[in-house]
Amino acid sequence: MSTIRLQRMPIAPARIALVLRLLSVVLALLTTAILLWATGRDPIALGAKVLSSTFGSSFGLEDLALLFSPLIYCGLAVAVALRIGAWNIGAEGQFNFGAFCATGIALFVPGPTWLMLPLMALAGMIGGALWILVPTLARAYADVSELITTLLMNFIAMLLVYWVATGPWLDPSGMALATTARLPVSVPPIWGIVHWGLPVAVMLAIALALVFTYTRWGYEVRIAGANPGAAAYAGMPVKRQLIAVMLLSGALAGLGGMMEAAGTVGRLQGGISNNYGYIGIMVAVLARAAPLGVLATAFFMAVILNGGIVLQSQGLTTHTVLAVTGLILLYAAIGDEAAHYKILRNKTGES
Amino acid sequence: MTDIPDPIQQRLGLAPGTPPILALKGVSKYFPGVIANEAVDLEVYPGEIHALLGENGAGKSTLMNIVTGIYKMDAGEVIVEGEARDFGSPTDAIEAGIGMVHQHFKLVRAFTVAENIHLGWPDTPKRISRRVLEARTSALSDTLGLAVQPEAVVADLSTGEQQRVEILRVLARDAKLLILDEPTAVLTPEEARELFVALRAFVARGNAVIFISHKLDEVMEISNRVTVLRGGRKVATEWTERCSEKSLAQMMVGREIVLTEAGQRAPLPKDTPPCLSLANVSLTSDQGTVLKDISLDLRPGEILGIAGVAGNGQRELTYVMTGLATPSAGTITLDGKDVTRIGARAMAEKGIGHIPEDRLQSGMAPTLSITDNAVLREYGQPPLTRKGWFSPRGAGNLAREIAKAAEVMVPDFAMPARNLSGGNQQRLVARREMRIADKILIAAYPSRGLDVGAINTMMRYFVELRDQGVAVVLISEELEELMNFSDRIAVMFHGEIMGMVATEGADVEEIGLMMGGKRREVAA
Repeated sequence: MSTIRLQRMPIAPARIALVLRLLSVVLALLTTAILLWATGRDPIALGAKVLSSTFGSSFGLEDLALLFSPLIYCGLAVAVALRIGAWNIGAEGQFNFGAFCATGIALFVPGPTWLMLPLMALAGMIGGALWILVPTLARAYADVSELITTLLMNFIAMLLVYWVATGPWLDPSGMALATTARLPVSVPPIWGIVHWGLPVAVMLAIALALVFTYTRWGYEVRIAGANPGAAAYAGMPVKRQLIAVMLLSGALAGLGGMMEAAGTVGRLQGGISNNYGYIGIMVAVLARAAPLGVLATAFFMAVILNGGIVLQSQGLTTHTVLAVTGLILLYAAIGDEAAHYKILRNKTGES
Repeated sequence: MTDIPDPIQQRLGLAPGTPPILALKGVSKYFPGVIANEAVDLEVYPGEIHALLGENGAGKSTLMNIVTGIYKMDAGEVIVEGEARDFGSPTDAIEAGIGMVHQHFKLVRAFTVAENIHLGWPDTPKRISRRVLEARTSALSDTLGLAVQPEAVVADLSTGEQQRVEILRVLARDAKLLILDEPTAVLTPEEARELFVALRAFVARGNAVIFISHKLDEVMEISNRVTVLRGGRKVATEWTERCSEKSLAQMMVGREIVLTEAGQRAPLPKDTPPCLSLANVSLTSDQGTVLKDISLDLRPGEILGIAGVAGNGQRELTYVMTGLATPSAGTITLDGKDVTRIGARAMAEKGIGHIPEDRLQSGMAPTLSITDNAVLREYGQPPLTRKGWFSPRGAGNLAREIAKAAEVMVPDFAMPARNLSGGNQQRLVARREMRIADKILIAAYPSRGLDVGAINTMMRYFVELRDQGVAVVLISEELEELMNFSDRIAVMFHGEIMGMVATEGADVEEIGLMMGGKRREVAA
């Protein structure tokens, strides 16, 4: 008599893991298609519409690029923190506060564009780092889970931006609701409406990949993230590294916020973060915290988000998109685990 | 079965032919590469407290985990009151009247005593008020003679009280055989005395207790009979009154300790100045005082053995010697310079290597590649790092070099280190540490997980290091290993050094007694 048994292997073969990743995306889309079909819609026509609207015109591609860019910043922010074993759930808040600080500089400090842009970028990064400072110190010195604290900080930053955009910094022209005046300086465009925020993000991803592979600091972060006990054993300053990496994480999200306010939107408005910080978590997790992987997964999520906008124009709710992203993450997690198993067929001998 | 009255039953005052509550016949359990238990026979009769004695790793806990259904045995029989049983889980075991209290309590800390007693107990009614729960608990507490406060929250209780709750929880389910895993390890002497009174009352009602311990005095005090395990096998079962602490120590650590000279060596001049000195070093942690007033000198070119049952401060001693922990009192000097608080990195840079006892928690990052793990000590120096730039190629070269010297076959250096066998991990860590140990090598249980051949190789390396003038601290539970390779042996017990003996002419029994807490009168 032969039986089928599953054997767990210590490492998942890379090829199988990749195949299952792709399969998980297909399954998520298939599940969505079935649900759409069950509610009386035509999933194939909707899918074709999404693809043609996204890739079929330069407008679609430009929109895609504008979604791609903030997702890289937020994905990198979360990925960098994951490297040292910290969960930055607060990229959303750091993004908002970075945008807020950069806007403050733009609105209230006069100066030439060549000086203003670096200054605003710096303000964005410092803002993002400041927004994660308290959770960082609490984690490093009081062992308070950064998962909760970074999340809670999001609400403060979001409400702060809503408040200044509807109150003290409200566009004096009286033409707008919940937004500041147009910023006097903006990140210059590179292609259509796509601005320099995108190439900078890509370069940052490459630079981070190099830093993590080719510097002593990168090696130390790798050890400290994988096993703080081993890092302490080797005499590495684990706390200092944790603090540095988490602040870097905040700064990346903050820079993303600056690029959004000064590039894509051109002003600070309520809800400017558009959930990029939260989707960044998914981007980083799917990329397994690899900076270059973030480029791929951020692009993929940008396609999904853009698809969502198209679907909305077809009368579906935004929740459809959230459901799709959730399904992908779910199937990917199942796939990652399943990749560890080998199917064995063997004859049962003695019991 | 014969009709001749069994002396065991007679001596315990039982009717002739009374079957044992529990009988084990040829029980064996193998883990990959390790014999946990082999061919163990054991009989426990009503009315007896049966001590199970052995060093850490002798297979006591594994054997009891088999009895209670946590592990499946690979061979043998478990017979409970004359019936062959093979429990699938602790729940099955408790239904058959066998309950175990583990070293780490399995109580819900946020629940009250009464709630914990009734949790997961089929006799607990589906709907029951707090008052009834507490009344039932008081009644149980009275009948079984274990005083507890039913309404108290477990988290607020002392360890001794928590243990009573744990025992009551087992006894409430009509256990006839109570297994206690090192119950006094967490108790004050006063609490231990109370426990002993309760245990005697329990067996007087025709029940039995298996008492796991490695403390000789306790075993002598509480047990009727004692079974000694060593290396997973049974050494003997004896009436306790026929034993002495000495004979038990001898059985526990092993009779056949052969003294073999660890290679030719130049005699160490008596006046060699010490390289590392600990003066009145104490260490306090969350668990209290873990090191107490330790003074010792380590001389270049010697192997200093540290004997003792694991968990008596050896780990903490390695921590203060390698800069991983800063002593709360006392000073540490290295070549005459105060190094008490210079930290782990500086100590490593000064030539102190450290093979840690828990390599997966502190010696390695198991999820990272073998390369990353192999270079953990030398990553910051050329040729691996120049001006902050790290060379993955240089790291790969060094990793290959270390693996080659450690005689570890590595199919893929990018593979996570956790995929290596325990023995191979140990060899890699040992080699990595020997490379930086210019002055001192601190090796905690270096032979753990290694086979005999690999142990010999490792010990040969230690002897080579010693001959080059490196001081080696060898922490081990294997007395034979210490006797064979060290020049002097210090014995630790409860964070203190009980005594220091020169290996030449050392009395194994005396070391065994010191391991059990007897202080040596004259210092060596």
